[in-house]
Amino acid sequence: MHELLAFFVKHSKWFLFIVYAGLSLMLLFKSGPYQHHVYLTSANAVTSAVYKASNSVYSYFHLREMNDDLNQRNAELQSEAIALRQQLTDLREAQLGDTLQLPDSLRQYRFIVAHVISNSIAQPYNYITINKGSAEGIRPEMGVVDPNGVVGIVNVVGEHSARVISLLNPNLRLSCRLKGSSSFGSLVWEGSDPEIALLQELPRHTVFQPGDTVVTSGYSGVFPEGIPVGIVMADNEHKNENFFTLKVKLSTDFATLSNVQVVIDSKKDEREALEAADYTVKTK
Amino acid sequence: MTRTITFFILKLLILILLQVVIFNNIVLFNVAMPFVFIYALITMPITWSTNASLTIAFFTGLIIDIFSNTLGVDALACTLLAFVRKPVFHLYEQRDEDLGGHKPSQTTMGSGAFLKYGATMSLIYCLAVFTIDAFAIFNPIRWVEQVVGSAIFTFIIIYALDSIFTRQHEKRL
Repeated sequence: MHELLAFFVKHSKWFLFIVYAGLSLMLLFKSGPYQHHVYLTSANAVTSAVYKASNSVYSYFHLREMNDDLNQRNAELQSEAIALRQQLTDLREAQLGDTLQLPDSLRQYRFIVAHVISNSIAQPYNYITINKGSAEGIRPEMGVVDPNGVVGIVNVVGEHSARVISLLNPNLRLSCRLKGSSSFGSLVWEGSDPEIALLQELPRHTVFQPGDTVVTSGYSGVFPEGIPVGIVMADNEHKNENFFTLKVKLSTDFATLSNVQVVIDSKKDEREALEAADYTVKTK
Repeated sequence: MTRTITFFILKLLILILLQVVIFNNIVLFNVAMPFVFIYALITMPITWSTNASLTIAFFTGLIIDIFSNTLGVDALACTLLAFVRKPVFHLYEQRDEDLGGHKPSQTTMGSGAFLKYGATMSLIYCLAVFTIDAFAIFNPIRWVEQVVGSAIFTFIIIYALDSIFTRQHEKRL
């Protein structure tokens, strides 16, 4: 017995080696509960605390790369968003063109749907830019309307874009009349409030009520007759003059303008020829 | 003696921390991994009994395994390393254990002997680790690359650590 003990003590390192190697091999090969015990994986409290601490330092090392990645991704998403927005706009324009109901009186007119790509309402002379131009059949002097009412008149035409003189521009005077009345005057922006314009030169005998609708007269040939322009406001002063000047609340919201329609008058050439003939007769 | 033990435990903990936080993330050329923590094991005072070094080595390996989710691999390799430590040491250092509790290092053994000792121990450790790994997937070329690459990488870092941390007044006996 003593000798046996002595033998064990003498060769204890061998036994210990075998015990530890056996333990390791057990951990290594035996798919027992030890392998999946949380204390023996990197998910235990100490290990994860160490890794979290080191990660809080490591995470700074890659900030530049991550930033570059994010910028790259951001650029990709941005261009994707722009492409999608463009697609959406095109579809919306197509839809508007399809669903637009034309009264019989408007048969001589065609509408081209365009999208506002630039707009101002705060300048003394406001202009709008649209994304259609001569290639799409737009010419200067064409009227521009949106579903609510008159927007302006085309002024300069590029190949795929056009500048529109906004109704909010003192250079534009629009021939208008009160709906249900034959008296007409000319509408001009008063220069400050993008919601209000003045209907000037309205004959003194005109009967009107606040809330009456102001529509285009159709005399200019730029706009069809009867397109809404605005509503007569309540606080009008009646000056003792030969003509009334009425404050009109514009029906078009120029601040949120997005889709507009350009009015093409198919009989414009005919009428112009007629008027030119009339002019030559007069001068003779 | 207490000072030696405290110093050893401190060194072991720091090296384990360095291993799991930094060196476990380094793989050179997709083959060479540095097992820097074995520096603590191979510089254990040579006078310590094999039983003590086996125990220390096994639990060191187990801690490394837990951190790197390689249960059993490092524990087994460390146990093996501790077992062959003395024979390898005496291969290059003929004198008996009258080193007086000194740890194997460049200053106690001399650069040449420590170079051979450190290189042999690194090679044994890497051989053990990658052979155990090879039980799962055996790719002979990759196995050789990993063993040789890791052994060289490990040894270079161990040698550098030893040059930096061996105190100059630790005179060679």
